[in-house]
Amino acid sequence: MIESLISFWASLPIALTTVIVILLKIVAIILPLILAVAYTTYAERKVIGYMQIRMGPNRVGPKGWLQPIADVVKLMFKEVIIPEKSSRFVFLFAPIMVLAPALVAWSVIPFADGMVLADVNAGLLFVLAITSLDVFGVILAGWASNSKYAMLSAMRVGAQVVSYEIAMGFALVGVLMASNSLNLSDIVNAQAGGIDNWFIWPLFGLFLVYFISGVAETNRAPFDVAEGESEIVAGFHVEYAGMAFALFFLAEYASMILISALTSLMFLGGWLSPFEGTFLVNIPAIGALFDSGIHWFLIKIMIFLFFYLWFRATFPRYRYDQIMRLGWKILIPVTIVWLFGEMVAIGLGWTPWA
Amino acid sequence: MTFEQIIFYFFSTILISGALGVVLVRNPVYAALFLILSFFTSSAIWLMLEAEFLGITLVLVYVGAVMVLFLFVIMMLDINMDPLREGFVKMMPLAALVAIIIAAEIVLVMASPSFNFDQSVVHAADYSNTKAIGNILYTEYVYPFEIAAVILVVAIIAAIALTLRRRKGVKHQNPSKQIRTKRNDRVRLVKMPSSSTQNRAGE
Amino acid sequence: MLEAYLPILVFLGVGFVLATVLLVLGLLLGPNRSYPEKDSPFECGFAAFEDSRIKFDVRYYLVAILFIIFDLEIAFLFPWAIVLDKIGVFGLVSMGIFLGILILGFIYEWKKGALEWE
Repeated sequence: MIESLISFWASLPIALTTVIVILLKIVAIILPLILAVAYTTYAERKVIGYMQIRMGPNRVGPKGWLQPIADVVKLMFKEVIIPEKSSRFVFLFAPIMVLAPALVAWSVIPFADGMVLADVNAGLLFVLAITSLDVFGVILAGWASNSKYAMLSAMRVGAQVVSYEIAMGFALVGVLMASNSLNLSDIVNAQAGGIDNWFIWPLFGLFLVYFISGVAETNRAPFDVAEGESEIVAGFHVEYAGMAFALFFLAEYASMILISALTSLMFLGGWLSPFEGTFLVNIPAIGALFDSGIHWFLIKIMIFLFFYLWFRATFPRYRYDQIMRLGWKILIPVTIVWLFGEMVAIGLGWTPWA
Repeated sequence: MTFEQIIFYFFSTILISGALGVVLVRNPVYAALFLILSFFTSSAIWLMLEAEFLGITLVLVYVGAVMVLFLFVIMMLDINMDPLREGFVKMMPLAALVAIIIAAEIVLVMASPSFNFDQSVVHAADYSNTKAIGNILYTEYVYPFEIAAVILVVAIIAAIALTLRRRKGVKHQNPSKQIRTKRNDRVRLVKMPSSSTQNRAGE
Repeated sequence: MLEAYLPILVFLGVGFVLATVLLVLGLLLGPNRSYPEKDSPFECGFAAFEDSRIKFDVRYYLVAILFIIFDLEIAFLFPWAIVLDKIGVFGLVSMGIFLGILILGFIYEWKKGALEWE
């Protein structure tokens, strides 16, 4: 049986087998990602619930564990309402335009050493370019809905996202100056050799700027004026229902996880273990747990996701002019000063990361 | 046909139909969407030429930044396109002339000997287009590079001069002042003996 | 180099197909009972007075224009940052001048009040 399968596999043309292998790898990325999104929503409701001294979802399944599944089923069978005044095609195209880039960005993320779908040279540039596409879907959605709230929200999101993208880009440049490569695996490998080699120490300011911009970029609290329910109801997706709304939801959480993943790759050494090079790695049997591997990457992603939820439970929403001020007048000057500091340090040959 | 050629023709077909869509559709938002599609596919074609940095930067700058501005302008200004189309026939000869001149220029450049097509360069596996650009842009071409900075500053100044309007009578808050306030500026705690303790003291 | 981009191309296809399939599933599985009140744009209970595609403050366009300029600046910084070890002090100084000129522009922007949000 197995032998006949192997011979059948070998008889297929090489182009076909390559594509099949790629497709399988993509499924291996997307399925866990969607599952992670589902359980991030559960974690969000639970964590914020406990922070506010209430239970959170606890009815569906044991301790509410099946809640996300129930939500998916519910959204699936809800009506997709298309408002009469909307531009039908753009209205339906917008959620696709939001979700697709949020998924595609994962193609260059290395999960462990060598465990990456597309090991391209310009990986970081690619991620920056593809995440900048997300804002389109939102603007299109706001415009196509032909509703005032959606329109206001689209303008807000557009201006906010582009403002924080600048700070984000500058922070990335700081990382590149230290790593000398655009390839995400190389960036992680440049941080190898123990916890003190991680970029978070020499680039601490950029790390803060990057994560704050990441939160703003994904329109999460406290920067969620795009869907500030007390002002503009639900913002750009006020007219969306059912699966069309679910796509926005999926994209938002996928981007959150992506930002968490990128922050851990660039500043916390991705899959590298904090115990790298210590005696713990050499302990028989459990040493592998302390050694570098995908589990460290996942732990770091979860830490940042927890920060996202923590922020939402803690901080009140910013006012719009405060958001613009923070982006343009604080984060950008901070990054520029930091870059100049880094340039001087490199010019003097003082490079703590090398 | 090799696999690469198939992909090339696939992308070029999309590119040309997208470009035609930009000029042919009536709704400006659809035209902008077609323009995005065109940028995207031309970026893919640049990638096939191993121009990795330029290809991705095209998406980053044109799709991610310029098109956002375009969409802002198209959607929010709500331009009525019909009056703009009225002069179409009258402008036709001029447009045709411009098109012919551009086509002639492209042909002249491509036909020149310095633009040698047969010279296909094979790069090593670890060739990085971004590094190749970096190596010469900031050293050999440092003057054009600094001039680019000056042009960008001129663009900043021009944009501000053209669009910055201060409306009169707008009441706005100053966030920097607001966050600099101290607790003592706003709240004064006064120690007052409560009536119940007073009563108790009197007993 | 091109082989490395093939998975991205496939992923792009999968991403769009997956999103479309999910949307179509929602359209097919959900009910379709529409009536004018449900299909009208949300307006807190009122009928809409006017078209919602209104004109916006020019400030939004200014932000978008400034963003393009800074995005270009970042695009210039990327190849520079990864060849720092090869281009040496000369490269550092040339980028220092480049950034210096643009910081002048940024200061102008700030002083002019273009970053102020009324």
